[in-house]
Amino acid sequence: MSERPERPDPIYTQPYDPTLAEKLYNPQKPMENRITDIGPPHYWQFLPPVIQRNYGKWKSHEIIQPGVLKYKAHSGEVVYVVRCGTPRLETTDYVREICEIADKYCDGYVRWTTRNNVEFHVTDEEKLRALLEDLKSRKMPNGAYKFPIGGTGASVTNIVHTQGWIHCHTAAIDASGVVKAIMDELFDYFGSHKLPAQVRLALACCINMCGAVHCSDIAVVGIHRKPPLVEDERLDKVCEIPLVIASCPLGAIKPATVEVAGEKRKSVRVNVDRCMFCGNCYTMCPAMPISDGQGDGLALVVGGKVSNRITPPTFSKVVIPFIPNEPPRWPTAVKWIKKILEIYSQNARKYERVGDWIQRIGWEKFFELTDIPFTWHLIDDYRLAYDTYRTSVHFKFTSHVETVTDFE
Amino acid sequence: MDKETLKQKIMEVFQKKASGAGKSKIYLKDLQREIPEANPRDIKNAANELVKEGKLEYFSTGSTVMYGLPGVGMGLEAGMEKPEE
Amino acid sequence: MGEVKKHDTPLMDDLKSGPWPSFVDDIYSYAERHKKQACFDILGQMELSYKNKETHWKHGGIVGVFGYGGGVIGRYSDQQEKFPAIWAFHTVRVNQPAAKWYHTSALRKLCDMWDHRGSGIMNLHGSTGDIILLGTVTEQLEYIFYDLGHQLKMDLGGSGSNLRTPECCMGMSRCEWSCIDTQDIVYELTMAFQDELHRPAFPYKFKIKVSGCPNDCVAAIARADFSVIGTWRDRIKIDQEAVRAYVGGELKPNAGAHSDRDWGPFDIKKEVIDLCPTKCMFWDEGQRKLYINDAECNRCMHCINVMPEALWPGDDRGAVILMGAKAPILEGAQLSTVIIPFMKLEPPYDNLKNLLYKVWDYWMEHGKNRERLGETIQRIGLNRFIVDVLGIKPIPQHVKEPRSNPYIFWKEEEVEGGWTRDVAEFRKRHPA
Ligand code: HEM
Ligand code: HEM
Ligand code: HEM
Ligand code: SF4
Ligand code: SF4
Ligand code: SF4
Ligand code: SF4
Repeated sequence: MSERPERPDPIYTQPYDPTLAEKLYNPQKPMENRITDIGPPHYWQFLPPVIQRNYGKWKSHEIIQPGVLKYKAHSGEVVYVVRCGTPRLETTDYVREICEIADKYCDGYVRWTTRNNVEFHVTDEEKLRALLEDLKSRKMPNGAYKFPIGGTGASVTNIVHTQGWIHCHTAAIDASGVVKAIMDELFDYFGSHKLPAQVRLALACCINMCGAVHCSDIAVVGIHRKPPLVEDERLDKVCEIPLVIASCPLGAIKPATVEVAGEKRKSVRVNVDRCMFCGNCYTMCPAMPISDGQGDGLALVVGGKVSNRITPPTFSKVVIPFIPNEPPRWPTAVKWIKKILEIYSQNARKYERVGDWIQRIGWEKFFELTDIPFTWHLIDDYRLAYDTYRTSVHFKFTSHVETVTDFE
Repeated sequence: MDKETLKQKIMEVFQKKASGAGKSKIYLKDLQREIPEANPRDIKNAANELVKEGKLEYFSTGSTVMYGLPGVGMGLEAGMEKPEE
Repeated sequence: MGEVKKHDTPLMDDLKSGPWPSFVDDIYSYAERHKKQACFDILGQMELSYKNKETHWKHGGIVGVFGYGGGVIGRYSDQQEKFPAIWAFHTVRVNQPAAKWYHTSALRKLCDMWDHRGSGIMNLHGSTGDIILLGTVTEQLEYIFYDLGHQLKMDLGGSGSNLRTPECCMGMSRCEWSCIDTQDIVYELTMAFQDELHRPAFPYKFKIKVSGCPNDCVAAIARADFSVIGTWRDRIKIDQEAVRAYVGGELKPNAGAHSDRDWGPFDIKKEVIDLCPTKCMFWDEGQRKLYINDAECNRCMHCINVMPEALWPGDDRGAVILMGAKAPILEGAQLSTVIIPFMKLEPPYDNLKNLLYKVWDYWMEHGKNRERLGETIQRIGLNRFIVDVLGIKPIPQHVKEPRSNPYIFWKEEEVEGGWTRDVAEFRKRHPA
């Protein structure tokens, strides 16, 4: 086992020196004073002492109220954990406020979950009460909670998401703003346990799909619908053509010689029938922009999960192929997400995840109950599409089925 | 193949590609294809050493990484000149 | 530094209201307090994106620091005139401590560094697991790297066709179900593969994720080329007393996860026995005793999740090793596939490292450019990958069901007499 440093490295209590790096780094001799390949800080130094003492010796846990977990160790020691949502996209001041809380109640220890929640640990109930009061009282200038408590049990926990318009060049939709709009609307479900099972939401702003969007109960995926533009006037100056051609995963880009203002120039052409709108070409070549205010928007996918509980992990399926971008609050997307969630909540059995519920009732029932229109886009024609065709006569007669008498 | 010979072969591949097809950036895989007699891991290590020596540089899009000759072809910040302040 | 220039952002401002924490309020408060032009500019550019419904970033080929082939994602604004403070807005991926535990002394110092050298905006954490520092210019990259190494004892994470930063669930630090020491495994692997993490090594990205039990809280099966999921192969441990307490209503099912709705009194038959996917459980009402036929259990975790005070994973613990998950791009989404159904994982995890080296050696040689491991496996066939590449015995656990077509690529050496035949001999038996 790797050696375990008991306490946080003393280097962290020395103040940050903003001038040190300029003294150490010499552009003429880049290897001078260079420290490389040291890896992350050892995790053990950041574990609270009570966690260190009971590491691997936990007995059980209980969610004593939404957002508050109680862990019991075999030693008899107890830890209370308060889980709070965060926006994930945050400033150092927000993080410092988390530090202030952790210093005040938790001896400076704090942890984040996979799903962008922050967790505070205390060992006695009195501190727990004070911590909860404190967290509830902290508001942003315009009234939003800074640290909403929840995300446990049969709730909608925080959304895992990607970068969106704050950072990514292929983003078809924003990420943080859409997440904010969704969580504002579903806020009540974050801090309560009233759903049949936990519901995991996710968002990816393009089909590259960073994150496990393809295995979420309900997820949003940004999609482009127009092939990239090709800027013949500029392309050979700012892009290296072999690289652009190699960048397309579907081989849809071919070299071409074109005439621009009577002059022969090297450029490329896109076989639009092969393009799947992924934006990789733009990554290599700023003269091939892909975004388009009218073409871009989002798709909703539902019914996936990663856990092995009861049923195996499954992929999410597309149920709404396109909703246009409607900043700042994406009302149509939010409306449908809420509707799916509520229909699920009313109809599913206890412990049933969204996908398990749909499996039980059948997709045709799902579309009927939610009033989501079924269109040709939802029938797979990509690879392995056949797996999704109905090759039995087991189906239900929902409103979709029209009795055929005459057929011309 | 000893490391120095391998490094030299790698540099030759780059010079050939850059002067011939005008291709200044190469994936590790392509490099390995050009030198089939060497072990892929040795090629990787040698190419990474050449980067440390300043003879090659990395070029990345975030999802993949390529190697290139410094100063040849599309620059690291091509088409993204810093505006005058 | 002169006065800061603010932009009119009515659409962004709309996201200040509502109960969920607002990144807009946060960034504006920060921008005002620290007089940061980059923060005003980033919201200005986002406002423009909200208006045009289009992103305003373009991409450079930058990788950042000397000698590393990853860890920095280069980004440039296409609105350099309007928003000069974010003409370049690169992100830096910093390798997080395993399971994302921190002490505030380290976090505060990181914040101080980022105030000084960047926009002050960050992600805790990116979907890769790394700490993401969002927004700095090219000139600062080396200094940031020196600050990380010299003052914070931190290092960059992976990007590009490198090993990506390994990630794990909270494991033994808090979870009673963790069958393996997820944090130690991730730390050990991260340290052992520093070269692969920082320098390109592979045809494409390679991700390792480690979950302590089949609940799979880091989504290893969906997101990692190499998924390690803890499990056990002996019997589920039962505290019959506690089972009776659940049945009697003294303990809340599923640790209280359903507390805000009246689902009626706990019914062990309906909620556990009948939902067990293998139907291997039996509740003897007379004896008031729970029986599990462990040989039939597929370790789905349901009963354990419902009765955490009464049931636990057994003592013979290890992990399932699965490979090949990837997002849909190109060949369609794939989940990881079982390769080794049970592997004991004890420090220093040499068996795991050897397995990784074996996979990498093959993939480096035979994988195509930008081909994820899962696609390579699919291209050559799972059977060939298991048998010929890894030298593992094929067993039913490798598949959901055997193939339904008999189009088998027999190998010549398997067929009696080989494939070389004599036409003349054949024609003697079968005149044309
Ligand atoms: C009541 C018992 C449970 C507790 C206390 C619990 C706790 C947690 C915690 C603390 C996390 C964050 C983990 C991390 O960041 O490392 C998490 C994430 C997660 N849990 Fe659980 N969990 C419980 C039950 C379950 C069950 C029953 C399932 C599946 C059916 C599940 C599925 C997940 C998933 C999928 C994630 C996140 C995956 C992702 O981030 O992509 N959990 N859980
Ligand atoms: C060829 C296709 C792909 C390209 C061009 C691509 C490109 C990128 C880029 C440029 C980023 C950085 C985004 C930013 O910080 O601005 C990124 C992030 C990321 N990518 Fe990809 N990617 C691709 C495929 C994938 C796939 C298939 C997966 C998952 C299996 C994936 C997972 C991720 C993750 C997890 C992040 C981090 C996002 C975050 O922290 O929010 N990518 N990708
Ligand atoms: C090796 C390639 C195959 C050949 C040469 C072949 C040939 C034939 C022939 C000649 C018949 C008609 C038999 C008769 O009526 O006397 C037949 C029937 C049939 N084959 Fe195949 N077949 C092949 C593979 C398959 C496969 C892989 C499947 C299914 C997965 C399949 C499914 C069927 C079915 C369902 C029938 C009808 C059986 C029935 O009438 O009950 N065949 N095949
Ligand atoms: S999902 Fe697509 S657009 Fe969003 S951050 Fe990832 S690569 Fe960029
Ligand atoms: S958007 Fe994707 S598929 Fe379309 S041309 Fe560009 S790289 Fe090819
Ligand atoms: S994956 Fe299993 S062991 Fe890890 S935190 Fe989740 S429930 Fe616990
Ligand atoms: S773990 Fe799942 S399969 Fe095993 S006994 Fe419990 S419910 Fe049944």
